[in-house]
Amino acid sequence: MTTTEKAVPEHLVVDFDIYDQSLAQPVDNVQQRVAELSAKGPIVYSTAHGGHWIVTRYKEIHEVLRDPDTFSSYPNNLVTGPAGMGKLLPIELDPPEHTGYRLAMQPLFSPSRMKALTEQIRDQVNELIDDFAGKGEAEFISEFAHELPARVFLALMDWPLEDAPLFTEATDIILMGKPGLNEEENQQARAAAGFEMFGYFHKMVQERRENPGDDVTSTLIHTEVELEDGKRLLTDEELYRMLFLLLIAGLHTVQGSLAWAIIHLVNNPEQRRALIEDESLIPTAVEEILRIEAAVVPGRRATRDVELGGVQIKEGDQLILTLCSANRDSDEFDDPTELQLDRHPNRHLSFGGGPHRCLGSHLARIELSLALEELHRRIPDYDLVESDPPILHASQVRGCMRLPIIFTPTA
Amino acid sequence: MSDLRQQVQRLVVDTSACAGHGLCYSTSPQLLDCDDQGYPVVLQDLSSEHDVQAAEAAVIVCPERALTIEPR
Repeated sequence: MTTTEKAVPEHLVVDFDIYDQSLAQPVDNVQQRVAELSAKGPIVYSTAHGGHWIVTRYKEIHEVLRDPDTFSSYPNNLVTGPAGMGKLLPIELDPPEHTGYRLAMQPLFSPSRMKALTEQIRDQVNELIDDFAGKGEAEFISEFAHELPARVFLALMDWPLEDAPLFTEATDIILMGKPGLNEEENQQARAAAGFEMFGYFHKMVQERRENPGDDVTSTLIHTEVELEDGKRLLTDEELYRMLFLLLIAGLHTVQGSLAWAIIHLVNNPEQRRALIEDESLIPTAVEEILRIEAAVVPGRRATRDVELGGVQIKEGDQLILTLCSANRDSDEFDDPTELQLDRHPNRHLSFGGGPHRCLGSHLARIELSLALEELHRRIPDYDLVESDPPILHASQVRGCMRLPIIFTPTA
Repeated sequence: MSDLRQQVQRLVVDTSACAGHGLCYSTSPQLLDCDDQGYPVVLQDLSSEHDVQAAEAAVIVCPERALTIEPR
């Protein structure tokens, strides 16, 4: 039997719901609200979504991430399955089942392979900036922060660029639901969006099966993988679930991080000036931007009764890990709420940890580095628009939907 | 000579703990490279004070605490 509200000490019971958009709108209070939870303890119990634990502090979150035997990564989110389409691969498998899939995908996103893409990605960054640099204003999300990871993803997969809006809509629905729908209607909307994506993957996989290239789609289709049932090619179903994960994981996380970069740098003008003057700050600046707002709130399920952070967790209990509060834990970071672009060391957990640590982290770092370099070279005096402030969103992948900026027009 | 050899240290990666964050080889590229899976590979022993400092920087950035400096 799983834990119920009655079994939890009263002071640890909360009604915090990471999917409640009033956390982020009209003003983003997620960090503040999560800090309040963290002040109650390293782990609290929320009554939302049928009841689940929220792990708030660095030490305990790290412990959970590194113990997949006790804390299964399935399901990884509180809203049923990925749109009812089965497990996302490989994130919703646990070792040893997980290992073969992970090792098959890892080289496709390795640091050396990603580094080789640098100039290609820089070109994409500059093409996007070209389109708005002369205007002196931009809606940063649709004109840059969404477009960049979408284009990079489509290029990696070798899928048509004009299909980007399809993914935007489907992943928005899957991550956030549709405004105004109740929970049941949202489940249906999520399932429909997932179904549509699977149909698209089916088409792309058939196409690349017949005409293979050196893209990620073709490589995944045509590489034999060492799995528990022997060495073999991936099935269509496995391919779709992998592609689905790549899509969900690759687009919104970078989008959000780019938006937070802008927001935090606008709010810290001296540090922005330092960054403009000295490009060598960029690697640590990227890590600091990643630290100060972590996009992902991963989920876990206890596979046995276990004590964590002084409370008893029951087998079957769901947990969510607020990486954003781990990253602001004063036991791990000095002045944790302050942006420090030269922070060292910076053992942030924005990419998670343990066996499921973000596969796309090396790509994400390159996208963020190049974006910071080129934005600060070309439109260094960007500012927010007071009358049209950023619109952020909550959910287990936090992020930004709209971010108007103004700046001095340049060629 | 033997005294000097005793002082030589090396950087050791606990591969069971390492999750491939990549911070160590970004921080100290002279001491660590990465393999095709994204995991660190130690390139050399720590033969100077400069190397030891670089190794300490790599140790301190690892979120998994997977790196240690050990006697050769």
